Parts: sequence; structure tokens; C-alpha cells
Amino acid sequence: MISAIFFYSTAFVLFLIGLFGVLTRKNVIKILVSFSITETAVNLFLVTVGYIEGGKAPILTNTIGSIGIHNLKFVDPLPQALVLTAIVIGLGTTALSLVIAIKLYKNYGTLNITKMDGKI
Amino acid sequence: MKKTEFITGSFIALTLVVLLGIFFFQALFQPSYEGKVMPVDNVNLKNRVSLHYVLKNVNNASKYLAMHGMRYFNNRSSVPSQTITYGKSKNLEEGSANEVTSIVVNYRGFDTLGEVTVLFISIIGITMLIGGVVEKKWIKPSLIVRTGSKFLFPFILLFGVYIFIHGHLTPGGGFPGGAVIASGFLLLLLGLENYRFNTKASKVIESLAGLTFVCIGLIGLFTKNSFLANFIPTGTVGLLYSAGMVSLIYVVIGIKVGAELSTGVAELKEGNKND
Repeated sequence: MISAIFFYSTAFVLFLIGLFGVLTRKNVIKILVSFSITETAVNLFLVTVGYIEGGKAPILTNTIGSIGIHNLKFVDPLPQALVLTAIVIGLGTTALSLVIAIKLYKNYGTLNITKMDGKI
Repeated sequence: MKKTEFITGSFIALTLVVLLGIFFFQALFQPSYEGKVMPVDNVNLKNRVSLHYVLKNVNNASKYLAMHGMRYFNNRSSVPSQTITYGKSKNLEEGSANEVTSIVVNYRGFDTLGEVTVLFISIIGITMLIGGVVEKKWIKPSLIVRTGSKFLFPFILLFGVYIFIHGHLTPGGGFPGGAVIASGFLLLLLGLENYRFNTKASKVIESLAGLTFVCIGLIGLFTKNSFLANFIPTGTVGLLYSAGMVSLIYVVIGIKVGAELSTGVAELKEGNKND
């Protein structure tokens, strides 16, 4: 069994890595990668909010058998459902922003955001 | 860089880090309804509203809340519930064995409709923006890649269909199943020389799937007086034919997401030549 504080710390460190990348990198693709890392950190944080030590994945199976008010063996399923939505929307935004990055490269001939000046 | 600028910048960065840390770690200390602050390690499902999703007694809980008012928040566990046994419990309020699926598709199905719409809009955006941008740099695939992609494609398709048909019993569901199907089409696009993805057909399939989703919701509206309400008997927990409309909606979502993501991948490779 792992304590929840381990997951909170991991999410925090991942979030800081992503934020650092977004603020300091010049390459558009690297900025998008940093955004994805930040997104992963937030998803990990949300799943960890529903984490219960010793809890099993919230799926009734043959080995779990039965569940009632006096034997609750599951972790919280609600944040996991929320994260499922967040992952799909993250996929959509990442795909769209990659296409915009391709368009930027076509227009300016570079992916460096400091070298993109007025010429189109 | 001046020294004062550097000091100010690092001060702001440190403040941001500390604030973010407070935000992240405050979840470790959640107040209970008795007013005590307790560490997250002692929290169990009995303190959370998810208790009713897990025990499938959401309707009972809302009746209890209407009857007893604020007393509900002090003892959630006194809401009447029953023990749920895999393969035995019948005709529950909600019949899927996977609790996450029961929340995503049944209790909060409207969110999922919005989510599918967001994915649809992003694929429309890709189709609009990509026009005429793509360059042809094609490396001829080897014999092994060509034969392997032809051989593997039906199995990948079958695996995707398996994932979204068993969405209410096992991990997975419509979205992962659709992604697997799209990966099969990606394999064909990369591995075969003369393969042309039929974008128009996939758009038609995708629109029909979206329309079916809304129609299932409307049937619920007319029979049970609530949009996306479950109108099919839920059956026994753990069987393939159970969970009422949850499995139906997940099949529709799987087809829709598979067609959408395949369209997106094909547009990224081939560009928009037709328009």
C-alpha cells in the first residue's frame, strides 16, 4: 500500500516541470509537450483525490464478489469518471494545436516563437 | 540581466510555487461534516457522495435527502441500500459492473454527449485548418510492413469492438475502443502504398452514430420523462446483456470515436484534397 502523499507529490512535481517548460522553451512542439505534461499532472491529482488506501479498482468482478454498506473495498469512482472526460478533451486540444503548429511552420518557416515576425 | 530583476523574478516564481503547493496538498486535509479536519488516509467512501454511485441507490438517496433534509449529510450510510453480488443481483437501479461506466454513461450521460461534441468540433477544426498543407514525403514500406499491416488490421478492429462491447463489465469502453480502431486505420495508412481512406463514408458513419446517441436520449425523455434516462431493464450484474442502455450507448460512442479519430489521422496524412 502506498500513501496518498506520494501521488500528490508526484503530481506537484510533474505540474512544475510542465509549467517550467511552457514558460522557458522557445520551440512550439516543446511547449505543446509541456502542456501535455501539465495535463497529466492535473489528471493524476484528480485521480488521487479519490484514492483510498487499500481500495481496489471500482469494477465488480468474480474475485471481488459482493459489495455492500459494510464492506466497501473500492476507491472513489467519481474523479475517475471526470478524468476520463478530461483525457478525451485533452486529446482533442492537443491534435488541434499540433495542426496549428504545422500551419505556423508553413507560414514562417520556423518553429521558434521568438523568430516569428510579421512576414507571412 | 540586472540583479534586482533577478531577485524579483525569483521571488514571484517562489510565491507561485508555494501557492501551487498549498493548492495541491490541501486535498490531504479535508473537513468532515462533523466539523473535524482529518487526514485523507482515514477518509473512506462513507463520507463521500460516491457511496451512492457504488451502491447504486442514488434515487433512494435523493428521496432520503428530500425527507430528512440536512440530517442526510451526517449519516449517508443510513440511506437504504442492498448488497450487490456479482452475477446474482437483479434489476438494480443501474446494472453495470464497472462503476466508472455507470457514472460516465448513465448518471452523467449528458456530460458524455458534450464530450463527444468537443471531440467532433476539434476534428472539424483539423479538417478545416489542414487543407493544402501536407507534403508528400513517402518512404516505400517493406514487404514485412505491408503484409503485417494487412494481416493485423482485422484483429485490431475486432479488439476495438471487443473493448467497447464489454465497456460496462471491464476497464475500457467507447473511447479506448474507438482509439484502438483508429490505430488500426493508422497502420493501414502507414503500411500500404495505395490505400485511400474514405473520408466521406467515415463522416457519414460518424454523424449517424451521433444522431443515434441523441435519439436514445430522446426515447428516455419520452418514456421516463428525463433526457438520457435508462428505459431498458437492467438485468443481472456482470452479464453481457445487462446495464440497459449503457452498453447500447457505449457501442454508439465507440463507432463515433473510431470514425472521428480515423478521419483526423487520415486528414493529417493526406491533407484535404477533395475540397
